[in-house]
Amino acid sequence: MKKHLFSVLVLILTITTLSVWSASQAEAGDKFEDRFQKMSWNGIVAEAKGQDVYFYMWGGSDVINNWVNGFYASRLKSKYGVTIEMVPITGAQVYVNKVLSEKQAGKNTRGAVDLMWINGENFKTMRQGNLLFGPYAHRLPNMKYLDASDPAFQYDFGYPVEGYESPYGAAQMVMIYDQARIENPPTSIKALIQWIKTNPGKFTYPAPPDFTGSAFVRHFFYYVAGGPSSLMGAFDQAKFDEVSAKFYKLMNELEPYLWRKGTTYPEDITKLNELFANGEVLLNFNYSPGDAASKVAAGKYPDSVRTFVFDGGTIGNINYLAIPFNSSAKAAAMVACNEMLSPEVQYSMAAVRNNWPLVVNVEKLPTEWKNKVNNIKRHPSVLSGEVLSTHQLPELMADWLVAIEKGWQKNVLEK
Amino acid sequence: MSQSAGLSKTGVIKKQSHKQRQSNVMRNIVLLGIIVGVILPMIPQLLWSFSFRWYFPSLLPTELSSRAWVYVANPNSKILESFIVSLIIALSVTAIGIVVGVPAGKALGMYKFRGKELIELIILAPTIVPGLAVIMGIQILFIRFGLSDNIVGVIIVHLLPSLPYMIISMAGVFANYDPQFEEQARSLGANAIKTFYYITLPVIFPGIVVGAMFTFLISWSQYILTIMVGGGRVITLPVLLFSFAGSGDNAIASALSIIFVLPAIVILIVTSKYLSGKSGGMGGFGSI
Repeated sequence: MKKHLFSVLVLILTITTLSVWSASQAEAGDKFEDRFQKMSWNGIVAEAKGQDVYFYMWGGSDVINNWVNGFYASRLKSKYGVTIEMVPITGAQVYVNKVLSEKQAGKNTRGAVDLMWINGENFKTMRQGNLLFGPYAHRLPNMKYLDASDPAFQYDFGYPVEGYESPYGAAQMVMIYDQARIENPPTSIKALIQWIKTNPGKFTYPAPPDFTGSAFVRHFFYYVAGGPSSLMGAFDQAKFDEVSAKFYKLMNELEPYLWRKGTTYPEDITKLNELFANGEVLLNFNYSPGDAASKVAAGKYPDSVRTFVFDGGTIGNINYLAIPFNSSAKAAAMVACNEMLSPEVQYSMAAVRNNWPLVVNVEKLPTEWKNKVNNIKRHPSVLSGEVLSTHQLPELMADWLVAIEKGWQKNVLEK
Repeated sequence: MSQSAGLSKTGVIKKQSHKQRQSNVMRNIVLLGIIVGVILPMIPQLLWSFSFRWYFPSLLPTELSSRAWVYVANPNSKILESFIVSLIIALSVTAIGIVVGVPAGKALGMYKFRGKELIELIILAPTIVPGLAVIMGIQILFIRFGLSDNIVGVIIVHLLPSLPYMIISMAGVFANYDPQFEEQARSLGANAIKTFYYITLPVIFPGIVVGAMFTFLISWSQYILTIMVGGGRVITLPVLLFSFAGSGDNAIASALSIIFVLPAIVILIVTSKYLSGKSGGMGGFGSI
């Protein structure tokens, strides 16, 4: 009897396993990622209709949230029948963890995340963990408005993009000052070093590995290396040792002239913004060229705030959109990525979102939109796209970044 | 009514009214404490939420603006929507917490049984182990059970950190609970339902209020469990609040904070009269 029961159980188990397996096989044959390379763009658009896209993005800006939930979402809804559901998050680790644990739990379809605002280290992590859908960027018709061959779009912090993310916006470091307090700001690293020494206590920077602080000190790293060209490519320990020795010496030399004599550093850019707004320090900087204008609009900074870039240029990068491997709305997510690069949306981004630097080449846009973009009224603190693009320095590969951040902590902060 | 009996009665009444006065003074002190501790810190928040230009060292904002509150009211901000979602979740968690926590608290407070210490430890564990340390494991379990990315899963996961407080509160109440009142009611002919309604419930009610308050507030303030298990399908107020808190937009963060603490203040005021814990059936909160 008992033996009988056992064999019945085995039979039931086998049947269940087989049926589950065959069901998953049937599903596999029908997967979007297996079909989309052969589909026409119209076919993808047709499949996208009715899908919901859960868009995970940093949610700390009322202007951007309002734009995504308003203009962008209603445009996708009316034009393609695609629903955008914004998920505001504090940082990329939220979606990285989410997708990673879904993969560990074997959830290969119907993942919670459909679209992510991403770049740099997080892209590399997700790409290496096989957490991303792609390559898909080459299928987006609106990629034609970009200079796709530009190396800036080939590598994301030195890591090959290979079509696993599509451009969203650009960012570039700008220096910020209040012209009511300073008349002639220092417009080169050399002049800045001089300025810090003649204005003790009026300058500081957020301690790396804060994103902005880390990007800022890289300008000094480039300066002592005699420019970024010798630092491009894979991490080179010998080169790093040579340059970093000079870098630490310079940073330590500046330390006593910093805010609070360099005994402490602001922990992040938000704290530095606070110090700048209160006039405790006289110079600030931001990786987003429109940030000063949006802070003026939000009443954080006085109207007399202006920005500038160094004569030798400032570091810039591209931020991207990416689609997780287990999204069930990949077609709609692709449509959303494509729409982000359309002339209308790019124009709106520049016009509404405090002159976000655009990833599209304005010259390639249809004349009507080209004129519109060129006629956007900028706050006087926002530099023109031309000034920015002619003063742009490349980012280093992520390994360099980490080495500089760790080295700074050991040899500058803890010394 | 005889004169002497009346006199002695008056004596008792006088003594009581003296006690009453004392408790009135106590009550006023407590009320003052609530105002100083809860309402006062909200004033800078209120100022920040209307501030436009406010630089050091100005004591007050130099310019005012309703920008933050306009954003709160803007449907694109989804703030009011998330407030309702938060409310539904926290109220469900509280209701389940009461249903589960009262019997569990009674068992722990009144009965001795084998392995009681172990069970107490397991129940207390979520208050000791930080949520962040176990979130990955929880998330994978919830995905496997199909509880991920929906409101039911969020309610269940909120029970983890909040239930211990309900159970501990109720265990404390029942530890000092005198079951003889129930026996008396039963011997006078009340059935189980009547006994519970007229005897047990009034005695343990203040304890339920305290436990429910904890449960509600702990569910109300969850961030990481919500975002991980809710997976963006369930957007609560803390999800929005946290994304602004670190962004340096003090006006909007302050406006959101005010909305965020509103239920806490309302609950505190409504329930404050139950918090004295004076009841014939028990002596205090015992071994909380």
